[in-house]
Amino acid sequence: MGNPWIAIGALALVGLLIPVGMMVISKLLRPSVPEQGKRSTYESGEVPTGDTRIRFNIQYYMVALLFVIFDIETVLIFPWTVIYRSALENGVGLTRVLAPMLVFVGILVVGLGWAWRNGAVKWVRSPRAEKRKDAR
Amino acid sequence: MTLSDTIAGLLGLNADDPLHFFVAAILASAIVGTFMLVNVAIAGPWAKRKITAAFTDRIAVNRIGPFGLMVIVADAVRLLSKELIVPEKVDRPAWDLAPLLIAGSALLGFAVIPMGNGIQVADPEVGLAYVFAVASLASVGLVMAGYASNNKYSMLGGLRAVAQNLAYEIPLVLTGVSVVLFAGTLQLGNVDAANTIVGAQQATLATIGGIAIPSWYAFVNPFAFVLFLVANLAEVGRNPFDTPEAPTEIVAGYQTEYSSVYFVLMYLGEFIHIFLGGAIVATIFLGGPAGPVLPGIVWFLIKIWAVFLFTQWARSALPRVRIDQLIEIGWKGMLVLSFANLILTAIIVGVVV
Repeated sequence: MGNPWIAIGALALVGLLIPVGMMVISKLLRPSVPEQGKRSTYESGEVPTGDTRIRFNIQYYMVALLFVIFDIETVLIFPWTVIYRSALENGVGLTRVLAPMLVFVGILVVGLGWAWRNGAVKWVRSPRAEKRKDAR
Repeated sequence: MTLSDTIAGLLGLNADDPLHFFVAAILASAIVGTFMLVNVAIAGPWAKRKITAAFTDRIAVNRIGPFGLMVIVADAVRLLSKELIVPEKVDRPAWDLAPLLIAGSALLGFAVIPMGNGIQVADPEVGLAYVFAVASLASVGLVMAGYASNNKYSMLGGLRAVAQNLAYEIPLVLTGVSVVLFAGTLQLGNVDAANTIVGAQQATLATIGGIAIPSWYAFVNPFAFVLFLVANLAEVGRNPFDTPEAPTEIVAGYQTEYSSVYFVLMYLGEFIHIFLGGAIVATIFLGGPAGPVLPGIVWFLIKIWAVFLFTQWARSALPRVRIDQLIEIGWKGMLVLSFANLILTAIIVGVVV
């Protein structure tokens, strides 16, 4: 049996070579007619206005913050799931394997409830959108 | 016995020598990569059109070759020979790397998937953790594509893509590890290896009318299976969760400014990703490449194509949710349900064992 990570590295190399190979083939096939007009970005046929790197909805930042917390939590759950069954089969009591994880998940669920009540997972609407809704 | 080991044995190479094993593994990877690309080539330009057409009562591609199958070749040549238009002020090299990352990372996941008849590139002990890790790499590529394109639609699409993947990653992984509670290992293994996720599913669950029902985790825990299928739809970005692309709202989202081979790579990456999602579903819930009468590889194909058909069905039949609805479904619905599933599974395993 060879080291499986060497095999995965080999697949990574193949996974890189396939797209690069397609790029090379395309480079050989495709024409190149550079022209200023077709290089402008698509904005429904209008002349693009302003810069793309503008302010965007704060919501994306809020869910990213929440994600960091819960993703670390899933990483900590992984080892627990692996040992859970063999610990039970080797005579460790159910409360001793399950209760700590219930407490851990419980604390995070309380946190999620708090974020929920504070509106962290509710979509933020700009004052302008709110005004437009009222006018309707 | 993985495919890499088998090839090393056939060529008379020493599997314990890293260099020899690398050569064998390259050959195994090329076989698996080509196999998946053939699937994607059939699914992308042909099957997708035919399926959608059947749902909407049209005929679709039928001019070139039998059943219009040669359209695959025609489309490949057509798309690869298009001019590559580089828009103004794109952020290179991020703009060029994004398609590479999306297509490459999706293939990476297939390294550990058992495809039946000993076709599996590698079988590390942490297979399940690895496959979840590389499956979510694509989100980075989507953000790169969206941010680097210098297009407001792309920017919105990239942001939506990452918000969606964040919302569904945790329910997906939590539901996935509820399977580990039964199996007690992260190794995906194979049909004949007992102490692995696939191997553990071959035991008999019950016998109905003389037919032995295997203990596939979809039968053992149907709730987790449904939850995982829904989270998987969101993860691969198909209806009703295709908000990052949403053609009627933001043109094509993160791939708006991509043309020629870059477009092919984005599209290819998405389809490999759908099949990777199908392969994960098949491996951890549907008993991997196992089934009666037919050989394993055929069952593997049937299972991943069934999941593909399901995504295309959802695409034709379900309306798209808005981004705010999507965030709420993810964080308020799916996350709570996946916690409930995990705790319930733990209690069931605790009572049964």
